[in-house]
Amino acid sequence: MKKTFKGGVHLLEENFLVSSKTIVDMPLCPIYVLPVHQHVGTPCKPIVRQGDVVKKGQQIAEPAGYVSVAIHAPTSGKIKEIGPKIHPLTGRKSLSVVIESDGKDEWVDGLPLNRDPFSIGREKLVTMIQSSGIVGLGGATFPTHVKLSPSKEKKIDTLIINGVECDSHVADDHRLMVEHPEAVISGAKVIMSILGLNRSIIAIGKNKPDAIAIIREKVPPEIQLEPLEVKYPQGAERQLIKTLTGRDTPSGGLPMDIGCLVHNAGTCAAIWNAAAYGIPLIERITSVTGHGIVEPKNIRVKIGTLLKDVIEFCGGIKNPAKILFGGPMMGIAQYSLDVPVIKGTSGIVVLTQDEVSKSSYTACIACGRCVDFCPMQLNPSMLSRLGEKSMWEKALNFNLLDCIECGVCSYICPSNRPIKHFIRHLKTLEREAKSLYGK
Amino acid sequence: MTLLAAALLGGIGLVCALVLGVAAMTFAVEMDPREKLVLDLLPGANCGACGYAGCAAFAHALLENPETEMVCPAIHENDVKKISEILERKLASLGGMIASVCCKGTVKDVADNYIYEGPLECRAAQLIAGGSKACAYGCLGLGTCEQVCPFDAIHIGEDHLPYVDKEKCTGCGKCVIACPRHIIRLAPFDLPKCEVRCISKDSPKEVKKICSTGCIGCMACEQVCPFNAVTVMKNSAARITHTKCTGCGLCVKVCPVDVIESVIELKKASILKDKCNGCSICSQVCPVDAPKGELKNPYTIDEAKCMGCGICIDKCPKKAIEKRL
Amino acid sequence: MENKLTVSSSPHIHTPEDIPWIMRQVIYALIPGALIGVYFFGIPAIKVILLSVFMCLGVEALTQKLIGKPITIRDGSAAVTGLLLAMNMPSGSAWWLVMLGACIAIILGKQVYGGLGNNPFNPALVARVFLLIAFPVQMTTWPQPRVFPLSLADTTTGATPLGSLKTAIFTYGKIGDSGNIALMDPFLGNIGGSLGEISALALIVGGIYLIMKKIISWHIPVVYVATVFVLTCLFWIINPGMYASPFLHITCGGLMLGAFFMATDMVTSPITNRGKIIFAAGCGIITVVIRLWGGYPEGVSFAILIMNGLVPLINRYTQPIKFGGVK
Repeated sequence: MKKTFKGGVHLLEENFLVSSKTIVDMPLCPIYVLPVHQHVGTPCKPIVRQGDVVKKGQQIAEPAGYVSVAIHAPTSGKIKEIGPKIHPLTGRKSLSVVIESDGKDEWVDGLPLNRDPFSIGREKLVTMIQSSGIVGLGGATFPTHVKLSPSKEKKIDTLIINGVECDSHVADDHRLMVEHPEAVISGAKVIMSILGLNRSIIAIGKNKPDAIAIIREKVPPEIQLEPLEVKYPQGAERQLIKTLTGRDTPSGGLPMDIGCLVHNAGTCAAIWNAAAYGIPLIERITSVTGHGIVEPKNIRVKIGTLLKDVIEFCGGIKNPAKILFGGPMMGIAQYSLDVPVIKGTSGIVVLTQDEVSKSSYTACIACGRCVDFCPMQLNPSMLSRLGEKSMWEKALNFNLLDCIECGVCSYICPSNRPIKHFIRHLKTLEREAKSLYGK
Repeated sequence: MTLLAAALLGGIGLVCALVLGVAAMTFAVEMDPREKLVLDLLPGANCGACGYAGCAAFAHALLENPETEMVCPAIHENDVKKISEILERKLASLGGMIASVCCKGTVKDVADNYIYEGPLECRAAQLIAGGSKACAYGCLGLGTCEQVCPFDAIHIGEDHLPYVDKEKCTGCGKCVIACPRHIIRLAPFDLPKCEVRCISKDSPKEVKKICSTGCIGCMACEQVCPFNAVTVMKNSAARITHTKCTGCGLCVKVCPVDVIESVIELKKASILKDKCNGCSICSQVCPVDAPKGELKNPYTIDEAKCMGCGICIDKCPKKAIEKRL
Repeated sequence: MENKLTVSSSPHIHTPEDIPWIMRQVIYALIPGALIGVYFFGIPAIKVILLSVFMCLGVEALTQKLIGKPITIRDGSAAVTGLLLAMNMPSGSAWWLVMLGACIAIILGKQVYGGLGNNPFNPALVARVFLLIAFPVQMTTWPQPRVFPLSLADTTTGATPLGSLKTAIFTYGKIGDSGNIALMDPFLGNIGGSLGEISALALIVGGIYLIMKKIISWHIPVVYVATVFVLTCLFWIINPGMYASPFLHITCGGLMLGAFFMATDMVTSPITNRGKIIFAAGCGIITVVIRLWGGYPEGVSFAILIMNGLVPLINRYTQPIKFGGVK
């Protein structure tokens, strides 16, 4: 039987723009901007002051709480300013540390190390992952150490390495698996040793035959390789687990509840770098692509690099209509070129005027396509109608909170209705009402 | 045949009426007759601002629980008195409130950061990169306040800013809660005489850059106000203490960005010739130099200059100045 | 940057399959049926089709202009309504009948409810039923099929197979010989009837095209036709003298047109597949009841309209079961 899940769409594939381009290092930039809130959870607290001199890899902000991770200096230089800068996720100003590079790019004392991560011990590895600032690099930026510390009652039996990369355009995980397969596999082994597992699955989309071939060659017997059908949102946690194990994540529950854990391929490589070499998360691989970019590239970019520097490195933009952080299905549109690349920036996609639909939306014609394609089997049509009237209480009866915001409904809607936007609006109203009345 | 049909239909009607009548009597719910009276006095818009599920629920609560306060913000004071009489206990009215919009930045005054696409709903637009208006505090102008108003009392004007219809606004506060930019405030109905139409907390430099009518904290209003009613704090738009403000409008005149507006029209002063002894105190206290005349002779007020602040009325030793009717 | 960027909620790409695309596909799918009508009924059929389509477009543009709404004739829904209406009328219909029908369809069937997406009933069917009740003679004067008659003159008129059945039952109390017709004729279209309903084959071809393009799902047409087939089969076995063969029932009349093109109208059919099955079964039952025991020879239009009215109720009780929810 073909392994898949119910719902989902086949997107027009645009990955070819970058999928065969070798990862190149982005040269040093004069300025790096690091927002203190780059992960899901509590923003971290800056521990440096204006004028301080920092080295590459030095911690500049410490976690403020359990669901919070550290932030490190991406290069050596001076702290120019600690103040509000535009945040790429919210579009509003948020506290950021600005580093002026000294051009030397010197490591902090003692880095990089060379050690055997399997001799460190579980507890220490998990603390090390938190202090290395590692978060889910697929875009959700959930702190990794939290996922690696399941409560005792919840027995994890399956680790899934997510190399599906189902959004169109971006190919950062693809290139990572092709060029650094051993980092991904070794990272997976570190996670397995932390959780005491002896088996895991690595899932790769069938549109990446070169990655599948290389991983198949390198993969040890305890890791099982699963090429998966190309379909969006195949890379979403619940859909991936359903496809690979047949287990349904309960509504309102976590993959942990059914013994599964999903980690992105990029996260595995970051864990390996931190565990074996002591290198914190200060750079990531990002696909800079789209028909609006002159030279699409896969770049290894330091966290905090400004968008305008990245664009300049990639030859500039032509006829841009939208600049996205992330793929077109999940990405966040930017309005300013002064925003920094952050930990969750898996891609920078520039869409041209012709690719962006300008027509406004019309009434729902009840065609039911959103219902057919919804991977969560909700009724987006109804939710969008309720969203138009801001009726969040009624929307709760239509499983509002189960929506994973994959955006398939908005993509498929013939009336061009921004269904996902309506759903986000309803969810925000629900959250505000809850915090107001404490229901 | 016709007779039979008429008799048949009439019969059915009679039977149905009897059944309905009996049912109404048997299943009648005991209701305090006062509840109906109270309900009739409530505004009846079922806006929910009281926290109950509509006016009927609130009326029921007023009767059932003697500790229920008069929390309806929309009711008229006279009606509160009538309800107090019906319930035979003293209810304090919340006082007539009215919504007031604190932003003057039209599309011409404030640039947009980007072209917004999506539902025309301020709260939804706010989710996407914080709203398209360059000012993070200004009105988004998509009309959520208009949509939520149960009294049809707030409308988006042609300049994409909301305007409150004073006749219709009851001060229920729905728009205040709905506005994602929190630019709508409730104020006692008759109190505000001047209002600062800006709540920006950006630095003056930033405000100047993005908005041509935002408060730039120049302090001119604070310095000119004869009643100490205006305060300007660092990185915050000027605020008027309504209890001190007399509505003289001096601040409105001096404001370089036109962000302060007079809410009410004041009556100008006039001097009673037979009482005035020409002491000249009025011309000394007048902030705009309106009284004219020569010492020891009756003064006159230059109407073009007088703003009706009423300072001279208080200071005149002969009580020779009055507000014009 | 000289131009401002656009910012909206993700997703930032959109399927090319928008409403105009869907309506275009529906028109393509209707073309075989319409061509068969033109083949058998000639120039008058072309006149009815053109008049109906352009009248619907015109009326839609005019009403939207008068109400002060954006004009949306480019989405193609008015053209589809016009084509469906033409295919539901006798080919010899007078010009005023067609124009009146177009006005009813667009104004009473659609715009009074707020335009496309808000109409509870299929606009073309509203117009057809209105005309059928208001002008029963004109709406049941069926020109007989001839192989592309070039003359513009009046053609001979006759009854439809279902009409003959009804007449036989009313006159003799049994169907007699009227049920014995060569089944190939209604299958290919060589019978009397509305302009676009005569050929089951052409309509099935168009319907299969729509199913392949995923514009309609198989649930409504298959369940609808199957329900009619099973029920008529049951009565035919019980009493072949009173009830005609199920094959005649599924090939004759407006069943194929209704099942593939009218009942599947997105706006007026249920949203989930479970709902669609209930809806189609209901349409089938009502159609059979009207055909076998009702005063009208044909019941497809009434059946679909009645079930259209029940769609909100069906939708309410057939919500999809969410992922990870109780099975």
